[in-house]
Amino acid sequence: MERSLSHGQAIGDEFYSAYAAGTLDPALILLVETQAALREDVRRELHAADTVAGVFLERESPANMSEMSLTRTLNAIDKLDISAERNERAARTAGSILDELIVLPEPLKAKALAAAGEAGWKFGGPGLKVMPLELDSEASVELLRIEPGHGAPRHSHSGQEYTLVVTGGFTDENGSYGPGDLSIAGPHDTHQPIADPGETCYALAVSDGGRKFTGWLGVAQKLFG
Amino acid sequence: MRLTAFNLHRIGNVVLSELHVTVIALFIGEVELLEAGPITGESQPDEQAVFASAVEDIAQKQCRKAFTLLFEFFAPRLKSFMLRLGTDATQAEELAQEVMITVWRKAGQYDRAQASVSTWIFRIARNRRIDAWRRQKKLDAEADDPLLSPSELPHPEDEYHLRETETRVRSAMMHLPEDQLRLLKAAFFEGLSHSEIAERMNLPLGTVKSRIRLAFQKLRPRLSDEHADDVG
Repeated sequence: MERSLSHGQAIGDEFYSAYAAGTLDPALILLVETQAALREDVRRELHAADTVAGVFLERESPANMSEMSLTRTLNAIDKLDISAERNERAARTAGSILDELIVLPEPLKAKALAAAGEAGWKFGGPGLKVMPLELDSEASVELLRIEPGHGAPRHSHSGQEYTLVVTGGFTDENGSYGPGDLSIAGPHDTHQPIADPGETCYALAVSDGGRKFTGWLGVAQKLFG
Repeated sequence: MRLTAFNLHRIGNVVLSELHVTVIALFIGEVELLEAGPITGESQPDEQAVFASAVEDIAQKQCRKAFTLLFEFFAPRLKSFMLRLGTDATQAEELAQEVMITVWRKAGQYDRAQASVSTWIFRIARNRRIDAWRRQKKLDAEADDPLLSPSELPHPEDEYHLRETETRVRSAMMHLPEDQLRLLKAAFFEGLSHSEIAERMNLPLGTVKSRIRLAFQKLRPRLSDEHADDVG
């Protein structure tokens, strides 16, 4: 039981190395980057992991580039449309007028803004709204919005469920979770999270929905499965 | 002035790697060199500072010379990195070029207080490769989708710690034994899982896990032992 919960702690080395190398599932990338946005210790772990990879890039033995490679690249730069950069900024600004989601840290905010224009919020129960996020992942990824005193009905899991508190907090049988805390529930855990009084609780939930995580998610399975 | 190619170069009591020499050779006669500090017997020219100045020159002055310097060093290495993952030579080179074009486009977002240029470029390369995989899976991500931009995790209040991390990782990696470096490289750079590494290196899984943990612990500054030095 204890092993299945990562109460307020950072996750393991293999998670960070897969993140650095770029082999982590997109759902878990979002999870770990959102946790990093909330927690300095996770940011430092990721930064250390990326630095390790950066040093190996420096030490990589150089491959032969074709003769015209630099010229081609400089030509491509000449043709770059500066307005692409401006459009990108405008898109971000326009998105941010949805100020309900402005409390969310990046990169979660960007994903949530995109999802708000697609499926949007769904009724999940009294005081509970759920918004599915579209990622290229086998996992189901949802943003939860829980009013204080409300929560998910008591449920168990057919697979793994990772829930990261983004704002506010919730409490279940295993303890209280605040921003940056990660609850990891395995197939045999049953719990009933209730949002704490005060601030609205936003949480990011990633779950395999009973499917076996495959491919990208293999790493996480080996860690927690 | 020309520097000939040896693996190591000695100036005063400082041993310079080929990397330093590449940088110095490319920058001889350039004013930018001054920003990286003087090359004397005592102070090792900091190639990371030279790279950082180059990115800043691209951002501020659209300096093609600075871009050329970065391209000469990073593009062939980026191509090697892409080749590692089974892409063919043509595509690997294209991806390397695209990463360098992104370096040009995003130069204004680079902040030397947040990361070294190598770390920053590596992140761009990693994200570019993830995009390439997505597109191969026919999940129609557009190249310029703003949502695919690399996450920079900007937290200015972390500045001191990020520098610490960078310094610590670099100096610790100089002292790690070769077998630990191989494990770190397989996990953090080549993206192998612990069990794949165990299989490839013919080691028990538990040994791989504990050695990687040990090696990574030596590299990262802990919140609790900020000034402890358990390296070497």
